Amino acid sequence: MQSEAREIIRIENIVKDFRPGFGVRRKRILHGITFSVREGEIFGFVGPNGAGKTTTLKILMGLIRATSGDARILGHAVHETEFRRQIGFLPENPYFYTYLTGREILEFYARLSGVPAAARGERVASLLEWVGLTDAANARLQTYSKGMLQRLGIAQALVHDPKVVFLDEPMSGLDPIGRVEIRDLILRLRSEGKTVFMNTHILHDVEMVCDRVAIIVKGRIRYEGGVGDVVGGGDDGVDVVIANLAAEHATRISEHFEAPLRGVGDRIELRFAAKQTDEAVRMALDAGGSIVSVSPHRDSLESVFLTAVGQGTLAKGVSGSGR
Amino acid sequence: MSAWLRIWTIAINTLREAVRNKLLYTLLFFAIALIGFGVILSTLSYVESERILQDFGFAGIRLFSVAIAIFVGVSLIHREVDRRTVYTILSKPLSRAEFLLGKYVGLLVTIWLQAAIMIGFFVVVSIGTGAPLTAAHAVAFGLAAVELAVIVAVATLFSAFTTPMLASFFSVGIWALGHSTRELRDIGASSESVSIQQATALFHRVMPDLESFNFSIQAAHGLAFAASDVWLPVAYGLGYVGILLVAAVAIFERRDLR
Repeated sequence: MQSEAREIIRIENIVKDFRPGFGVRRKRILHGITFSVREGEIFGFVGPNGAGKTTTLKILMGLIRATSGDARILGHAVHETEFRRQIGFLPENPYFYTYLTGREILEFYARLSGVPAAARGERVASLLEWVGLTDAANARLQTYSKGMLQRLGIAQALVHDPKVVFLDEPMSGLDPIGRVEIRDLILRLRSEGKTVFMNTHILHDVEMVCDRVAIIVKGRIRYEGGVGDVVGGGDDGVDVVIANLAAEHATRISEHFEAPLRGVGDRIELRFAAKQTDEAVRMALDAGGSIVSVSPHRDSLESVFLTAVGQGTLAKGVSGSGR
Repeated sequence: MSAWLRIWTIAINTLREAVRNKLLYTLLFFAIALIGFGVILSTLSYVESERILQDFGFAGIRLFSVAIAIFVGVSLIHREVDRRTVYTILSKPLSRAEFLLGKYVGLLVTIWLQAAIMIGFFVVVSIGTGAPLTAAHAVAFGLAAVELAVIVAVATLFSAFTTPMLASFFSVGIWALGHSTRELRDIGASSESVSIQQATALFHRVMPDLESFNFSIQAAHGLAFAASDVWLPVAYGLGYVGILLVAAVAIFERRDLR
């Protein structure tokens, strides 16, 4: 069903070179990346620091120009202006005019976004309520905490009720409560039917909120696909943790089922194919062992990510296409 | 929403920033203090005390207005990029040209308002001391306002692509040269070398001739003037501002905002 959804963002073969200074050789930041984001999904754009995430987002926002390639949002070239009525943007660590109050800055952005004067006050008030800043609405931004600024940043991105929202590291630097608040806000955006593009390097957040993900490493896309495909799909076996099993029995069972064996303190962990699990558990019990846990094995996004950046050993799901 | 409304929204916000900036009040205080000092100085003179008073007033208004224009103008665009406030603004349906023009208009309105406060004080002092106020004074203030428009445009242009420090050097340099370009041309004209004559004449044409906006002598001495003495500098100034802003927009449009 997802594959039938309309493409909202399309990045095609984007290359970006920077010249660090006069007389210095150009440095390639993006090596012809290609990916797309579909309508109504929360898309995680993941990569280590310096991978090219923010550069990609700045190209989408028209803040920097691609050296070559094509980037489109809602079918419009990203350097166009008018279509931005339909997009919202939260930069990393958003900066605002600190001499303004929360209400004033939202009114300013609403005016710039073309929100009609008659609707402006109500829209700003409801957004302040939505992000929990009504009580601080008339305080100057220099008194706001980082979490409050982040919530205000989300409010300004939504002030004109856009269809697509771009978030750059929306949870970085926030305390656990702040992260939960922002995560809830993002999930509420999806429930309102908005498409969300989220730059992040916090994989746990991606697993929690994203439908699909692209992993970028050193300016190349190393993986693009559903988060569910990574963390939940396929028969990857069953992890069985057994206590009180003598070493010779553990080795015998491991060799019999060709199951990888790992020692975990005074316990061992064996990974069996799903259909072997019942027999293996019986054999372990007969040998005097006690079953501590039986759980289906799942690759984490982290393992996929580490593989993509070249630091892991698990190769599953990594499409290494260099797209 | 029209482009003009978006430009005006940026302009009003720039004005609001200035109103909430305490440093500008300090500069304004010193400007008014200088005009007040002219009153004291004029009382020490037996001759032409009114002229001394008004010369001081004109100098104070022009000097401090230009200082504020350059001081604020050189970081007008650079600061927005450096502080990244521009990221959220340019993600809205607003072009870079509209943003830059809005910042320019906002700063110009701010500088004009400050100049208006100084002029108001000048008028009060002149009336209080019995110094004459003529139509030439109004023209002098009007042309000073046009000069400020040129200076703010110069500072905006440099702010669009370089650091405030360099932009300050360039802007102050152009202001100083702009007030000497006529003299340089005249000196060059008296030279026997044709190439020097041509070079100084070209320099005069390219650089802003800021002396064309200086009407303070006519005002202080109550000299007669023709209509062309007013509209020609105004047209020249507006044309120069237009060229500077087109250049500033062209540069800013091409910049990567990293």
